[in-house]
Amino acid sequence: MNGKERIMNALNIREPDRVPLYIHGINEAPIIGIGREITDGLPEPKEFHEMNDQEKVKLLDTLFLLHEHFDVDGFTSFEIGHEVEVDAGHVADDWGVVYTRSHHGLPVATGHPIGGPGDLAGFTPPRPNRGHLILLDLGRDRFKGEKALFWLMRGTFVRSWRLMGMENLMVQMFDNPEFVHRVARMVTDYNLEQLDMLVDAGLDVLVVEDDIADKFSPLISPKQYSEFINPYNKELVDKAHRMGLKAVAHSDGNLWPLLDIMLETGYDGLNPLEPQAGMELKKLKAHCGDRLCLLGNIDCVDLLPHGTVGEVDNAVRQAIGDAADGGGYILCDSNSLHPGVDPLNCIAMFEAVKKYGARNA
Amino acid sequence: MELLQEIAVKVEEGKHLDVVSLVEKCIEAGIGAGDILNKGLVEGMNSIGIKFRNNEVFVPEVLVAARAMKAGLEVVKPVLLKEKVQSKGTIVIGTVMGDLHDIGKNIVCYMLQGAGYDVVDIGIDVSKEKFIEEARSRGAQIIGLSSLLTTTMTYMKDVMDAVRNSDIAENVRVIVGGAPVTREFADQIGAHGYAADAASAVDVVKVLLQA
Repeated sequence: MNGKERIMNALNIREPDRVPLYIHGINEAPIIGIGREITDGLPEPKEFHEMNDQEKVKLLDTLFLLHEHFDVDGFTSFEIGHEVEVDAGHVADDWGVVYTRSHHGLPVATGHPIGGPGDLAGFTPPRPNRGHLILLDLGRDRFKGEKALFWLMRGTFVRSWRLMGMENLMVQMFDNPEFVHRVARMVTDYNLEQLDMLVDAGLDVLVVEDDIADKFSPLISPKQYSEFINPYNKELVDKAHRMGLKAVAHSDGNLWPLLDIMLETGYDGLNPLEPQAGMELKKLKAHCGDRLCLLGNIDCVDLLPHGTVGEVDNAVRQAIGDAADGGGYILCDSNSLHPGVDPLNCIAMFEAVKKYGARNA
Repeated sequence: MELLQEIAVKVEEGKHLDVVSLVEKCIEAGIGAGDILNKGLVEGMNSIGIKFRNNEVFVPEVLVAARAMKAGLEVVKPVLLKEKVQSKGTIVIGTVMGDLHDIGKNIVCYMLQGAGYDVVDIGIDVSKEKFIEEARSRGAQIIGLSSLLTTTMTYMKDVMDAVRNSDIAENVRVIVGGAPVTREFADQIGAHGYAADAASAVDVVKVLLQA
């Protein structure tokens, strides 16, 4: 089987020839750190916007190369080119959300253009731009159907709170629910239109990336989730399915109180299954492993930054033992390969999948 | 007494306008500002805090309750000052340098304010120098450090070391919390307290201030 077949089998809860390997997200530093084991000419770790054109091309090529070298079965892409630099420390996206750059991962949304209904009345949302799908195009052309192509689409909660501010969004759920619905409608219309472009570009798996929980519980109640968020995300899932794609839900944190709602929504997979948030593989497998493919759970908080290669090897063996029987498990870390992970531990994770992941299919 | 209970209920329900008018009624009725604070506003936040800890309510309910509590506090504050009601203690709190996340820290602030403490929120991306300077100038007894990222929580040790070597070392206790922070890490860096969640931050502060 090739990578795409492995991923699709797992998402269909069928057993592939080996447990598929996936990278949901990866920062510049680990691309460079891991890349140094397989290529040369890489710059010192720095952020993408700090690189010159030659370094950017090298980084991108290394990203592809490590997917090939370590047989990573899926490739993740996301919007590029939708942000403009405000100043050295800030960028703004095409919705007008301002982000503060961070040396510790992705920029954090700190400027929100829609405070209330008055702002919304004068707000013109952007239209999806085909040019922003360039990473998907490059991945498709590079891997030529050998790997499953994933797309990270910000879901209703994340897009809404970035526009409104998270606390404001939550308070408006009480003060002005109709306003919250109108923002949700607006961002969903954008996402639905972008989905058409993604299908045309050859996408295989839509990831509805909608972080909505911390390690203890969801940030909002199941009732609020069912009223303000899930119906809109379900529109994305339903359309993805109608267009022949698979749909995966991504949210950090403890999702147990929302899990049955998510199952009813029809997602094919769930990622990233944080062990610190009680998202235990064995328990999940027993609860819904026959209906939902599990993606993730290799600890990127303690294990990948601070563990040993031997401990990573054991964790991969354990995860495969807990979740892979009968299909429906895709191995990846428990959130992203962020700047704090040890590149050698990442490589140990990639290699252990091949060591323990062979199935009898 | 009924009015105070009603304040607590309305705080819990997040009805800020009702809380304001009830607090005004209490003041007019000559009820002591300390009672309005502790038996009304704090009681309501205490109740929502317990429900939050038990996953019976979620962040939005805490936010609207905190808004109601703060609205009531604004009304009663001048009377508290006039009646010279003593503060339970002052806490300077912030997210450590390099980290731009604030909602977890904000919820801890609301819980501490709701428990009757004076809380000085010094924001995100805060340097060790600023923690010390603010604690010194506010006369704080507690410094609270928050972090959401494994890569930024290591800065908590820098803050701890700086506090230990500063002139405020004897007067201040440091508590730490945030998604990746564990009790082991807190012990390792020599923090005086570790709060696993927002509600337990209140308990930790209470114990440290009594010690």
